[in-house]
Amino acid sequence: MTDREVFLNNIAEKARRPRHQLKDNPLVPVNDLPETTLSGKTQDELLEIAKANSTAVNVNLQVTTKVDLPAVLDDFIRDKITNNEDDPYQANDHNHLLLPTSELYADFGLESWRDGLTDPAPTFWKPGAGRTTNITTAEHAGAAIAFADYLLAESCSITTATTPGQGRAFHFLPVHYLAIVRKSRILPRSRQAMDRYDKAIKAGELKTSNINIITGPSNTGDIEMVLVVGVHGPLDMTYLVVSDM
Amino acid sequence: MKTGSMIRSSDHDFLTRVKESEEDTFAQKAVAKAQDAQWIKREGARRELGNWEDWRKLGEQIRQHTVRYLPDYLEEFSDNVESNGGHVFFAQTDIEARDFITNLAREKQVKHVVKSKSMVTTEIGIDEALLEIPGMELLETDLAEFILQQDDWDQPTHLVFPALHKNRDQVREVFMEKLGYEGDNDPQHLARFARKVMRKRFLENEMSITGCNFAVADNGMINLDTNEGNADLCMAIPKIQVVCMGMERIVPGMREAETIDNMLARSAVGQKITTYCTFTSRQVDGESDGPEEFYVVIIDNGRSNALGTDFEPILQCIRCASCLNVCPVYRHIGGHGYGSIYPGPVGSILSPVLQGNYDDFAELPYACSLCTACTSTCPVKIPLHKLLLKHREIEMDDIHQSKLIDDVVMRVVGLGTGHSSLFRTALGLDHLAMAPLARKGPEAAKNLYSDDKHVEWMPFVFGGWTKVRDLPDPPAHSKNFRSWFKTHKPADVDPKIAKHTAQREQEIQAERKA
Repeated sequence: MTDREVFLNNIAEKARRPRHQLKDNPLVPVNDLPETTLSGKTQDELLEIAKANSTAVNVNLQVTTKVDLPAVLDDFIRDKITNNEDDPYQANDHNHLLLPTSELYADFGLESWRDGLTDPAPTFWKPGAGRTTNITTAEHAGAAIAFADYLLAESCSITTATTPGQGRAFHFLPVHYLAIVRKSRILPRSRQAMDRYDKAIKAGELKTSNINIITGPSNTGDIEMVLVVGVHGPLDMTYLVVSDM
Repeated sequence: MKTGSMIRSSDHDFLTRVKESEEDTFAQKAVAKAQDAQWIKREGARRELGNWEDWRKLGEQIRQHTVRYLPDYLEEFSDNVESNGGHVFFAQTDIEARDFITNLAREKQVKHVVKSKSMVTTEIGIDEALLEIPGMELLETDLAEFILQQDDWDQPTHLVFPALHKNRDQVREVFMEKLGYEGDNDPQHLARFARKVMRKRFLENEMSITGCNFAVADNGMINLDTNEGNADLCMAIPKIQVVCMGMERIVPGMREAETIDNMLARSAVGQKITTYCTFTSRQVDGESDGPEEFYVVIIDNGRSNALGTDFEPILQCIRCASCLNVCPVYRHIGGHGYGSIYPGPVGSILSPVLQGNYDDFAELPYACSLCTACTSTCPVKIPLHKLLLKHREIEMDDIHQSKLIDDVVMRVVGLGTGHSSLFRTALGLDHLAMAPLARKGPEAAKNLYSDDKHVEWMPFVFGGWTKVRDLPDPPAHSKNFRSWFKTHKPADVDPKIAKHTAQREQEIQAERKA
């Protein structure tokens, strides 16, 4: 391989520009469109924008309250796993519910709901359980319920930073997927989310190797440009906004 | 140092490739359909965002700035990758990059590799090289690339829709023959079948090779945009990840990446953001998936030939392919007509730059009508048509690439228009000379002249014109513009206008003197 200095010096020589001039010439953006686009909206307005955008990206966007959250999640589990008559979960290879290991259950008042789950018995993405165990668990999940960091109104996307209790494959291997997000965490655009992640990483408050912005289920137009949903990741996506948090 | 040695996608010469493309009527229709559909989606998404021209200025500024300070940003990025526990390797040529990755696979005794779509991995010929390792199994996981791989590594035809030239029956046939598929030709069923095949292989793989939409200099992460999510599985399951990036694919920070991601998705597929937009690096302590070993291969492979030259703006490119999607030439000859893995306007500029000569791609700068649609649509304001003209200028004036027929034609035209007597003779004879070929017929476009004849066939190189459009019959000498001009006097000018014109002329003269 080429030595780094040789490689970089070659670039500088060909460009006829000396190296190490950047500190005196930082990027000063010509405008602030990324920040100002969709700015100044209330959380209610942002929620309406997200709802309006959900159809185009095949997201089932639901709104509930903290007290009703367990019942809505039970409905999701019944709909996607236990009552799926076309593909009985006891017989197929995707017969688990996958949940993260997280302190957020307490915040959302979901500890007793989690501990009371029996059919199907929940499986967890466990810190320290290792790559093979967690990936195998996720692969056999009929559905996953995740905690998202933010919901982006403009594109109806959720964002999530990988944690030991909610790994990368958590969001991709299960057949069906639901993400819970607080209404107070709805942001106008991806810019505001990037700002927050960037600052948290640089301040050492967030230690993660991976940030996902997810906008609906996996899809492709690779065969005759016909839209096909569910190529690699989950076949469908539900984003659940908790309106009183 | 040889660069760009593996970007040719065909051994045939340009005219043969064009003829082959003309005969592939399905591909032509598919390209036209894609261009039309993308026009609606792309322009709709840009309109909905608003202030598109100002967004373009911002996109141009970010990319220009990054290219201007490229060594500094690459240094910062590589330091940050290393401090995150990853490794960075610099490759000046495709061979260097390819050898590094194949040696790594051998050293780690890897037998299963998954790839997510990446033009730069095609550029370095990594697939063929890896498959030379005994027992190696390699899987392209983007659905289009998967289809091409199953079809004996057919060549991609578009930067964003690589299998655009294949119809559903062809895909079904390939799946039946190579994978035992027994279903119908419904794209949904074909895609679900591919999902099952690929999911099984994903779980077996030990190493992934991905591209990189943008490297983030100030934190050492890489940013990838996909709609299928295959890149995310490539970055979650295997223990080893190798990232291949063209050296210019870098931005200062996550904020700039986010800006360009938004412009890329709108320009490429008319989406606000791609379904999956991911920032990633080596696994951190406590996480159980993601790569334990993270390698970034930064590839020059001729890109530096553009630096400090008129071609430097081509390094601003974010590979959205919107220049392909508006190009009338691409519409007719498709990706395969270009004979490079990088087709369309961007490919016509980039391919000779990567090779550093015009040996393989001399004709590509001429595969352009200079309509400037590419320049107008480019989200980062690359002056594409000007760069195509610059290539022509170099080929004609600097290196005298006289094997081109255009050179002969232009010399004849130059001779004729450079001598007034020859030019006047030509104007006197053109009507007579064309008369045997001219015919009357239904008008495709209103002719300027009274006889309304047109020419539908001409010999030699001129046939290139009449094959696709009619040529109006030149007027008789007595009716041409010069004859008309001689017999017409200027109309009387309104005294008020004449006075104003005289005043203005005086002002201009005064300004010039000043």
